[in-house]
Amino acid sequence: MRRPDELVDGAAHALSTRLAGGLTRRSFLGRMGGAVLALTGGAAVAAAVRPEEGEAFHFCGHIWTTGSCPSPRGRPRIDRHGYPLRPGDGRPIDNLGRLVNAEGYAIDSAGERLVGPDGEPLPRAPRTRLCEEWVNERFGLNSHTQGSWYRCCGNQIRKLVDCCSRSRRRINGDASLVGYCWHGNRVFCVMYYDSGLSC
Amino acid sequence: MVETFTPAVCGSRRRQRIALAGFALGAVAASALVGASLGAVGALLGTQLAFVVAALALLAAAREAGIVRLPLPQLRRQVPERWRSELPLPVWSVGYGIGLGLGFLTFQPVATFWVACAAAVALGKPLAAGLCFAAYGAGRALMTAWPRHGQPDPTAAVEGLARRRRLLLLGNVGALLLCAGLLAAAPAAGAAVQTLGAGLDPAAAGTVLGRARMDSGSSSVLVEPRDRTPIAVPGAAAPAVDGGFFAYEDGQGVKVIDWRTQDPVARVDGQVAKPALDWPLLAFVRSDSTYKRLVVADYTNPASPVERVITRISAVNDLGRPSLAGGRIAWHRVTVTSSRIYAQVLATGRRSVIARSSVLVLANPSITSTRIVWVRQNSRSCALLMRRWASPAVKRIYRTTRTTRLLWTTALTGRTAYVTRWSLGTAASTLVRVNF
Repeated sequence: MRRPDELVDGAAHALSTRLAGGLTRRSFLGRMGGAVLALTGGAAVAAAVRPEEGEAFHFCGHIWTTGSCPSPRGRPRIDRHGYPLRPGDGRPIDNLGRLVNAEGYAIDSAGERLVGPDGEPLPRAPRTRLCEEWVNERFGLNSHTQGSWYRCCGNQIRKLVDCCSRSRRRINGDASLVGYCWHGNRVFCVMYYDSGLSC
Repeated sequence: MVETFTPAVCGSRRRQRIALAGFALGAVAASALVGASLGAVGALLGTQLAFVVAALALLAAAREAGIVRLPLPQLRRQVPERWRSELPLPVWSVGYGIGLGLGFLTFQPVATFWVACAAAVALGKPLAAGLCFAAYGAGRALMTAWPRHGQPDPTAAVEGLARRRRLLLLGNVGALLLCAGLLAAAPAAGAAVQTLGAGLDPAAAGTVLGRARMDSGSSSVLVEPRDRTPIAVPGAAAPAVDGGFFAYEDGQGVKVIDWRTQDPVARVDGQVAKPALDWPLLAFVRSDSTYKRLVVADYTNPASPVERVITRISAVNDLGRPSLAGGRIAWHRVTVTSSRIYAQVLATGRRSVIARSSVLVLANPSITSTRIVWVRQNSRSCALLMRRWASPAVKRIYRTTRTTRLLWTTALTGRTAYVTRWSLGTAASTLVRVNF
């Protein structure tokens, strides 16, 4: 069964794609307004249309103080499923921070497989989810991706995601907040997903 | 001895000089032989003993200072007096030199000789140990002539030496303390990482090192016995070594040779690679389109080796270069979801996971009968980790950062680890030795 936020995401994504497809950004915002989006994606999606509120505490869209989840390249950029992406361009990377192709093999910027000192292509390395695997292993927590909210960053909709656990301490070391977590969990660290949709 | 090598005893000053020369020759040669033999024993042992010798030197210094009372192993004998009357002068003088030069056939007034023996074993180099011990023989020879300098009466010369005994003993204590300090510092100095030139895929057993080298896209392997000329095998890769046996992969499969004679010993044809050797056991990875299988072949009966599959994984995953030693085999398994280091006792089949991670890359283990090392890699650094079989504690013995200094395959012998260090940008690789 899909998680609640996945259902909301899917609906919001489908709606916003349909709406934006035939309209300019200004007319889209003007005609639809936040209310319609709020019906499909919650108030958090509606808030994404206010770019003036998108400035970050430590990355765009994140205005609270919880630190980033651990990641290969520092900035915790993820894909829809929580796997690491290269922050600059959103290309998939493995846990060693190397660009990877669809099969998970390390490649260079031109898409050629990287080779080792023996001249053979490098084997695959693990590529695992920042919240469910990285936080679990590094901090010993049973962590899950739960709550999320949306901001306009770089003219596109960014989804900010809470990695939640039972821990009373967040990754910063100070007391954790409930945030958008549920089932008794609290925010441990945050990640983000760039949808590429204009805002 | 001072009172023996006199013109009166030898027959003339000329004969005295001949006798002294003979004595010196015997003493130096015998001492050098003792040193070289002890060095050879140390080379065979191949373990780090510097701390043990440092402790012995400290104990000896305490004994010489009178702090502790310790009997010394010694034969309370003197050179056979009758040789002087029964044997020609050149023969008995050389014989006396050999007897005293050996060190352990006569009185040992101080413990220094035994500390020196332990140090020669720790050094593990026959030539260097032989040279050092030759100095002991030269010292013995010097003491037969020097005390008489300016003293026509040998008895007076001996008494003059005896009066200085306390000073000599104090000097001996100081020398032992200095040795203890130098020996204690030696492992720390030796643990400083040492690069061994271009190469990859190290293999090590005692004093023999093997490596692969890439030249213009072609691979060759080198067998590098200590103090001998390296032996090259072109067109080969992934070396493994165990005593006089050397394994490698080439275009046909895996071969095992006697590296001293280059005679073939065994071969496995087909899609096989990454050999590991603990003769008569040979491990390798056999690949097909579906799986990679880790196989151990027992060549106890060379005519009909017995193969056993240890594990298999999907062909898209990484089953690394195995390591065989002390009745165990170790390997790594890396997939897109995790990496693990495994070890299995061959006799019982009992398998254990030495390390696992869903985040890091853990790879390339090497083992001995007492320890295991492996590489841990994350996005920012690589580390060479070590663990004893008897303890779960893991120790980092080497670390690198940046993509220009990644760690790759490893080898382990005694308390010396070897690792390939390479650059992602250029693929150039260097062998590194880490003493721990």
